[in-house]
Amino acid sequence: MVDAPDVQKHEPPSRYTDPITRYLLIYFCILALAALQFVIAYSHVDTSAKFERMLLIAIAEAGLALLFFMHLWAEKRGFLLFVVVFTGFVLVAMQYGWTDSYRMELGAPYTQPKVGVVPQ
Amino acid sequence: MHDTSSHAVAHHGPPASFIRKHIFSLDHKVIGKQYFGLAFVAVLVGIFLSWLMRLHLGWTNLAIPGLHLLSSNGAPGNLMTPEYYLQLMTMHATIMVFFVLTTAPFAAFGNYFLPIQVGAEDMPFPRFNMMSFWITFLGFIALMSSFFVGDGPTLGGWTQYAPLSAIGQAAGPGEGTGVVLWAISITLFCIGQLLGSLNFITTTLDMRTRGMSLMRMPLSVWAWFITSVMGLTAFAVLMPACILLILDHVAGTSFFVPSNLVINDQLLPHSGGSTLLWQHLFWFFGHPEVYIAIVPGMGIVSHVLITSMRRPLLSHRVMIYSMGALAVLSYMVYGHHMFVSGMNPVSSIAFSFPTLIITIPATIIVLLWLGSLYGSRLRINTASLFALGFISMFISGGVSGFFLAQPSIDILLHGTYFVVGHFHMVMGVAAMFGIFAGTFFWFPKMFGRMMNETLGRIHFWLTFVGTYTIFMPFHYIGLAGNIRRYQAFTPDYMQQFIPVHKFITVAALLTGAAQLIFVYNLIHSRFWGKPAPDNPWEATSLEWSTPSTPPPWNNFGDKMPVVYHDPYQYGVEGSTGDYVMQNSPERIETVRDEA
Amino acid sequence: MSQADLTMGTHPPGLTTGLPPFSVSAKKMAIWLFIIADAATFAACLVAYGFLRNGSPNWPRPFHSVMNVSLMTFILLTSSLTMLLGIRAAKIGDKAGAFRWTMITAVAGILFALLHIREWMALIGEGMTMFHNPWGAPLFGASFFSITGLHLLHVTGGVIALVVVGFRYMRGRYNADDLEVTGLYWHFVDLVWMFVVPFVYLLNLAQ
Repeated sequence: MVDAPDVQKHEPPSRYTDPITRYLLIYFCILALAALQFVIAYSHVDTSAKFERMLLIAIAEAGLALLFFMHLWAEKRGFLLFVVVFTGFVLVAMQYGWTDSYRMELGAPYTQPKVGVVPQ
Repeated sequence: MHDTSSHAVAHHGPPASFIRKHIFSLDHKVIGKQYFGLAFVAVLVGIFLSWLMRLHLGWTNLAIPGLHLLSSNGAPGNLMTPEYYLQLMTMHATIMVFFVLTTAPFAAFGNYFLPIQVGAEDMPFPRFNMMSFWITFLGFIALMSSFFVGDGPTLGGWTQYAPLSAIGQAAGPGEGTGVVLWAISITLFCIGQLLGSLNFITTTLDMRTRGMSLMRMPLSVWAWFITSVMGLTAFAVLMPACILLILDHVAGTSFFVPSNLVINDQLLPHSGGSTLLWQHLFWFFGHPEVYIAIVPGMGIVSHVLITSMRRPLLSHRVMIYSMGALAVLSYMVYGHHMFVSGMNPVSSIAFSFPTLIITIPATIIVLLWLGSLYGSRLRINTASLFALGFISMFISGGVSGFFLAQPSIDILLHGTYFVVGHFHMVMGVAAMFGIFAGTFFWFPKMFGRMMNETLGRIHFWLTFVGTYTIFMPFHYIGLAGNIRRYQAFTPDYMQQFIPVHKFITVAALLTGAAQLIFVYNLIHSRFWGKPAPDNPWEATSLEWSTPSTPPPWNNFGDKMPVVYHDPYQYGVEGSTGDYVMQNSPERIETVRDEA
Repeated sequence: MSQADLTMGTHPPGLTTGLPPFSVSAKKMAIWLFIIADAATFAACLVAYGFLRNGSPNWPRPFHSVMNVSLMTFILLTSSLTMLLGIRAAKIGDKAGAFRWTMITAVAGILFALLHIREWMALIGEGMTMFHNPWGAPLFGASFFSITGLHLLHVTGGVIALVVVGFRYMRGRYNADDLEVTGLYWHFVDLVWMFVVPFVYLLNLAQ
């Protein structure tokens, strides 16, 4: 074990007193992204493509909000990593179940015999 | 040196009134004792229920006097009905998993000793801490009340698998009000533990005293810290799942009920839900929960063992990293509870692989203990005996985990007593041994009196032998095909197991009765035990350096401790003996582990 | 100076500081932990919703207009900006400004809630309940009301927190850090809405 302090003395940067112009810039970026979602909603692509694009945009919006509205960018990098990696990991681990979601309504797809499959 | 850590939060003063001191106390030590008391009551209820179950499994036609009192549904002729048996089983599991294995090692000992071991006056949010206990307590009341409300407690098992848990009365007695009360109880429990986790994490990160770097925290603190990080997100997922289950009951939704379901010849009006969804949500919580129950035990056992071995573990860091790896992997393996659920077989492989990987950190932990024990001059006392017992249980129960991790074998074994034996040993009894070790180790600090050593050893040996006698046969009859969750074994091929069940029942009754020794020891020592010195085990961590025993309301009096050493400085030439306390300013050659 | 310096005169070797590893105060840490837990809660709800939506062949798409939801989104996003301005004012010591912006944020929250309730009322008027709707899979109502209801609950709690913290800040009981912690929560409520809008509203637009 090392005797060095586990924490370096941290000079807080000039957090939370960012110029208002930066706040406005981020705000308009998020508004534009939100508007983009509405545009995608009216585009003529299938639902899964819509979902993917909307998810990406929502993550981008959330990222901007996390970094600049919630000031994660001004915190120590370790804290940013802790929040993003830990939360991201838990949320990703939650996605195991998706393949089962297609199998529930009336037992689908297994109640509809596949073409060409001979029942034993 | 700027010192923002210890004084970042407003502290409460000494308790002024009786209520503030003993009931709605803000003191983490009192709250820890309250959790301990809650777990104590809960474990007695849980053992009692298991006795009733075992009696019925051994002697199916035995009339148990007074049986009807426990269930509003009644037990005709004091004979246990199948539903009654399932109700007992559900309540036994729920009480044990939530209100004993989570509250005792994590919430009780964690509350009491985490702040002291990091040298804090209290937790940063004492009010949250108080709420955490009382909300958990309400949850326990809600669960207990289901014995007396409606037609008895739920019979769905502690996992409450949908759809039977979601369709209400049609699924049997207790599936209406009983399930709702169960879900309310667990929702409350989740909120309570979330508040607790919040406090644990902030205490560990922000409230450490001067000199207490992260790597200088005792292993028990690390275990509680890792556990609370797991609890933070695991309970946060179970809570909405329980709320959706409640909605299925009271709002007429059908999140977990599929279309065209016929139960007891009734076509249910529900449509569109998914039973697998409940299992996914539940086990996403459920697997981390298993580690929430066992990891604090690992921390306590390491702490106790190191003190008794008079040397640190082979590697402090590797132990911490291994517990961390368990926590990370626990989120990726939950599907191994669902191999037989009709889940996508590809997911089974995806879950099986990390399940086998998770045995690596678990094995490393065990090897660290065994390697450190090898050649050490172990001081034998009840606490260290229970710590050894923990290791024994964890290995014996863990080995069967290798089998169950593989879908092809698990499909055969999942519905049998093999699984029952497996989780009782590796998670249930092992964690209980951790609780016992912690109790014998910390009782002097918590209550200022020593526990009786002779009674403790008798209790240990009876429990240790008794546990193996109960749960090893579970494995054998499970392999032979004895199905679990059955209340009687009437089919021809299962009748041969009845003598084994009788044997297990006798063993369970005796082992359960042996716990009365512990109960007696606990109560007797509390009031008439030998007064405890400040540091009876010659241990190094901060909880043994408090100015009085039990510690004063602010733990360290007016002088906050300053930490100079790594946590386990044993086997050195100290002024007090072969150890140097963490807050002792004497200069020594630091004992470093080899890794 | 500290006890160590009094007893030892100098820093003993190996005395390290117990500063928080992230240099984040306990209160802020607590709210971040709450946010992480709450994110897991909302994610579980959204996953459950997606799971059920995937498996239902007749999932309804009842929303004809995005007017209301776009207005709500605009209000909530803007309220995040006003919250930021409030915290900024508090940090540079402009107490009155901080109070004003916080109250504007709370009003925006109330406006959002009112619009939301109006929308709920309209949907209920069209015959949508937790267990039934005229368009298709009944689970639509259940998941819609659960998710937006949970969010609305958060907004309501946030408005109450803003008002309470704002007034106590004005009276000097709370400081700028407390305002910042409340602000973090408010931004998180906004952040959740960024995911609720596309998945619960926009994917269910009438074609």
